[in-house]
Amino acid sequence: MTAITPLELVHKKGTFGDHHKKNEEDLLQISEVKYLNIIQIVHYKKSTLQLNNITVEGLKFPLESSKVSFNKQTRILWNGPKTWLVISLNENILNNIREKCDDKNFAITDISHSRAVVQIKGFQAREVLKKGSPINLNEFEKDNCAGTVFHGVTILVDLINDNPDTFNLFTLRSFGESFYHHITDAALEFGYVGV
Amino acid sequence: MLEIKCPYCGKRSQNEFSYGGDAAVKRPELGKEVSDKEWDNFVYLRKNPRGNHREFWHHVAGCRQWFKVLRDTSTHEIFKTARLDEEL
Amino acid sequence: MTQEYRLKKNGYINRNKKISFKFNGKKYFGFEGDTLASALLANGVHLVGRSFKYHRPRGFLGAGVDEPNAKFQLYSKETTEPNIVATEIELVEGLVAKSQNCWPSVNFDFGAINNLLSKIFPAGFYYKTFMWPKNFWYKIYEPIIRRAAGLGIAPMKPDNDRYEHKFEFCDVLVVGSGPSGLAGALAAAKNGARVILAEDKSRFGGSLLNDEVTIGNKKGKDWADETILQLKSMSNVIVKNRSQVFGYYDHNMMVMIERTKDHIEKPTKYTPRQKLWYIRTKETILSTGSIERPLVFGNNDRPGIMLASAAKEYLKTYGVLVGKKPIIFSNNDGAYDLAIEFKKNGIDPLVIDIREKSNSTAVKEAKNLGIDIKFSHAIANTNGYKKVNSATIGKLNKDKTGYENLENVSCDCICVSGNWTPTVHLSSQSGNKLKFQEKIDAFVPEKSKQNESTVGSAKGIFTLKESLEDGFKLGYELSNKITKKNIKSSIPPSNERNQDRHDKFWCMPLPKNKDYKRCVDFQNDVYVSDIELAVREGFRSIEHVKRYTTLGMATDQGKTSNLNGLQLVSNIEKKIIPEVGHTTFRPPYTPITIGAIVGREVGKHYRPTRKSPMHLWHEKNNAVFVDAGLWLRPRYYKQGNETLQDAAKREATNVRNNIGICDVTSLGKIDIKGSDSAEFLNRIYTNAWMKLPVGKARYGVMLREDGIVFDDGTTTRISENHFHMTTTTAQAANVLSHLEYYLQVVWPDLDVNVLSTTEQWAGVALAGPNSRNLLGKLFPNIDVSNEALPFMGFKKGDLFGVPARIFRISFSGELAFEINVESGYGIFMWEKIMELGKEMNIEPYGTEALSTLRIEMGHVAGSEIDGRVIPSDLSLDGMISKKKDFIGKRSLNRQAFVELDREKIVGVVPIDKKTMIPEGSHLVANRNASLPNPKLGHISASCWSVEYNNPFSLAILKDGKKRIGEKLYALSPLKNKSIEVEIVSSHYVDPKGERVRS
Repeated sequence: MTAITPLELVHKKGTFGDHHKKNEEDLLQISEVKYLNIIQIVHYKKSTLQLNNITVEGLKFPLESSKVSFNKQTRILWNGPKTWLVISLNENILNNIREKCDDKNFAITDISHSRAVVQIKGFQAREVLKKGSPINLNEFEKDNCAGTVFHGVTILVDLINDNPDTFNLFTLRSFGESFYHHITDAALEFGYVGV
Repeated sequence: MLEIKCPYCGKRSQNEFSYGGDAAVKRPELGKEVSDKEWDNFVYLRKNPRGNHREFWHHVAGCRQWFKVLRDTSTHEIFKTARLDEEL
Repeated sequence: MTQEYRLKKNGYINRNKKISFKFNGKKYFGFEGDTLASALLANGVHLVGRSFKYHRPRGFLGAGVDEPNAKFQLYSKETTEPNIVATEIELVEGLVAKSQNCWPSVNFDFGAINNLLSKIFPAGFYYKTFMWPKNFWYKIYEPIIRRAAGLGIAPMKPDNDRYEHKFEFCDVLVVGSGPSGLAGALAAAKNGARVILAEDKSRFGGSLLNDEVTIGNKKGKDWADETILQLKSMSNVIVKNRSQVFGYYDHNMMVMIERTKDHIEKPTKYTPRQKLWYIRTKETILSTGSIERPLVFGNNDRPGIMLASAAKEYLKTYGVLVGKKPIIFSNNDGAYDLAIEFKKNGIDPLVIDIREKSNSTAVKEAKNLGIDIKFSHAIANTNGYKKVNSATIGKLNKDKTGYENLENVSCDCICVSGNWTPTVHLSSQSGNKLKFQEKIDAFVPEKSKQNESTVGSAKGIFTLKESLEDGFKLGYELSNKITKKNIKSSIPPSNERNQDRHDKFWCMPLPKNKDYKRCVDFQNDVYVSDIELAVREGFRSIEHVKRYTTLGMATDQGKTSNLNGLQLVSNIEKKIIPEVGHTTFRPPYTPITIGAIVGREVGKHYRPTRKSPMHLWHEKNNAVFVDAGLWLRPRYYKQGNETLQDAAKREATNVRNNIGICDVTSLGKIDIKGSDSAEFLNRIYTNAWMKLPVGKARYGVMLREDGIVFDDGTTTRISENHFHMTTTTAQAANVLSHLEYYLQVVWPDLDVNVLSTTEQWAGVALAGPNSRNLLGKLFPNIDVSNEALPFMGFKKGDLFGVPARIFRISFSGELAFEINVESGYGIFMWEKIMELGKEMNIEPYGTEALSTLRIEMGHVAGSEIDGRVIPSDLSLDGMISKKKDFIGKRSLNRQAFVELDREKIVGVVPIDKKTMIPEGSHLVANRNASLPNPKLGHISASCWSVEYNNPFSLAILKDGKKRIGEKLYALSPLKNKSIEVEIVSSHYVDPKGERVRS
């Protein structure tokens, strides 16, 4: 039984916007990122456990705001003091986390179904985000993350690549369709391919 | 549009936050005996100054942390922000 | 074809591309690079509008945003736009424009009758007339005034253009690309700062476009062009033309509007019409220049009378002569540039100079060219109704109160120059306290409140040399604060005509026994006599004079009139100007479209919409949706032609008799974990939580600190330190913030994590006598009997391979269960339930039926929890723990809360058992009592009770419990209803709550 992804019935493939007279490689690419496992891990206040001994999938928990620890399959995003979001393609990630983080010291909650994830990729991806997000994207570096808004919809921004710029944008599942319309509408000026 | 420095995330735009009221208010301990006047002051009375105001803001679109801000209520100038466990 | 006033050479227009356009129905030609104004002037068109009040003929006064008269109605294929200023419209093929405020035409305007009656319409007449007789106002005066008011025609169709927004950050924002702005931008950019250069016009360079100057041995304009190329090549610079910074906001937020489409003949489909930039900059350099001031004299408002700087711009930038027989009237040297330009192009101007003499290079050059100059002279009056054709000039007497002689001189245009007003709007908006500079008779910025600095003529510096120096210096200093790279740019040498003293005199006296109109505000028709009248009538403050006379209140916001008006008031009052003060500068600097402010958020993007995972199923099955906050929830599932009420009855009846399924995903879910979880719940809920067994749910009520009920929900203990809390849909976000506040701010010693999981789980309610049967079919491997899964019980299950949570809780009051599965399986769950429930006649039910069910059961919801009630009002006093303290408990002691006759929840039934009682109706004892009729209570929610087949309502009623059995009246003046009712128990159906426990 496969779950329906949040944007499965909404995402359209094809070429849209002012794409005429442009090379297809130069166009933005917009897609839904499916089947990501998203787990919230919170380190309890009263826990005396030292964090620097703990790794999940070989990754340490980032202790600085907006930072991301990552490898090919898994990214750990700073989400608040003592709070992280583990985002992984690994099906077993929840079990792997439970092996390293016990529930006396950590609150672990699976919220994989609660987010719609849109990926926007291309050299104009930052320009599209600038249309709706008031954060300083000029200084936003690879493997940084930030919680902000896009035209009033709360989103989490994760810059996973900078050649070309590739953003994974997380929003609450119920806002998914609205957010998808906002971001694709913003990309029309530049032309995009729905992949 | 104000620019507020979240002590965790750095400078962000006002539309990521929600205003949280007077930070000088201290809730009496649970179960402690308080006079009616003390209780009314806590629930209802606020100084509402024109000028410097110590207040709470909540970074709802970001780290979801509550923090303190020192702001001039007539010019909106923000002098300082601090975490809950820091001095303002 | 003709373009009689276009020079063969000159100008920065593209003479290779001819453009045709229509003005007032007539076809004309211009060139690419023209504005609508320059193209009309090239065709000799001066009469373009009528003034607001007196409908006097109006022509072009300026060449830029200062233009008060040439406001046109623009027509495009789809729509129309009013009040567009012709000097800012770039000419594009097929443009169609018309004059405003005139009928039937600008040439022959009935409204001109106002001019003949002008003695009846002086300033302030609005406040004195149209008051008698009183009843004439609505029927006669108002409709006439309404028709006469306003300038253009508002569009009636939606604006179909796209408007975009952009949030941008930079180190230095330079506003204006004149010489000081270019210098500042170049210096800052070379020093490594992130720079944005914003220029309102389509061409860069500002005064360098029209002045005879050199910078570093190049023509001024060439230096400007090279500098722009250089800036554009740098990766740390954004150069923008057609972009106006119109507002200065908090913390150095500057807002700029970029015109991206109107000048393009064939734009692409998704090109936005305008872009609104929100620029957060560390430093701002304001090089906004200055605007020339008109001189004031008799009938100075005729078409053909314009600012000398504008005439110069039309000549140099557009290659257009504003006239072939010009008079130039000035009190300073600046206007001589224009005289020289005219002469070089074969036109002989006559210069009227108020001063006795001048030793500047410009005047010497003019004399050498043989230009006719009359010093100590002034213009007293002009003639020519639709276009100026002569001027009455005379030698001013010694104290400038009159003329020694007067003579008439023919002309076809008059170019006036009264000195310059620095454009200080943005600086003032930022909080800068301006200072009046006597030397230039104008305000300049003085004390900054934010990170802004002004350079060039906007600061009162009127020489090129100083402007360049100032710009380079500031650009370096400000950028170095940020980059600390210490890269200085060299300042190029410059050459310009030097200027001698100007004469401050600007308002010409009237000749003996003449009362010619001397205009100050051209668009709003405010004359010297009006301002004198205002002061006579006691309006002393400049703010009052402004509003009484409407000086400076037109669409040009007084750019060419405010300072003249201010000086007049100060002269009459015999005060110095700083004492008189100035009116407040507010954004926007020029009018901006509402579409630009809204941006993308129109139509379906107006607000975000939240949809449940099962939304598509609801759509396909004829659900009619209702807005529940941002959520779309099915209100009912329409069958055939049934009405809302029919459907609600049908669906609710099916739940009471059979089984129904309802999508409850939108209700808030909060996951709570941590060793102090139970203690925390104990503090925020009114009832006890420490001993709640694992696998059990409990109804909980939350109060605010002032004792008022905040929210309610059911919280389940999933394991020792793991709880699942539910909230109402409306309060889900607020409750989460409430919990976070108490955990972070008030009780940071508690170790609890709270996290919203509303979206992680899709939720359905299965309700009705058959719900247990169906539950058994859905979970064949679980014992779902009344003993194994009692009321308020919880179990985990497996729904055909999908993990599920089963809660035995009920909002409808029937035997019911709520099932949660992870959202991705939501549709699978729904379809499985519909499939297996088919033989039990399962039907989906929406919020309308849900309301019916809970109302007749007496269960409270948002309509009762309205921010005014405490637990005992809702018969929830049993929920209040006597043993522990909790949020809100202390406030319940308030006198008003313990009054014996306080409002309580009750049920209400109409005596006739037929009439639905409107929600919000007031309950009174006597329907005929005189006003005010004492309110005993109000109706909070109404439904058609499917159990009893009559209307039933819940109400909050004073001393409610004691009134059960009484007859009262429900009054709704809004709906014109007066209904006799009986008060009953709020638990109309199943008062003992037996069904949920069955």
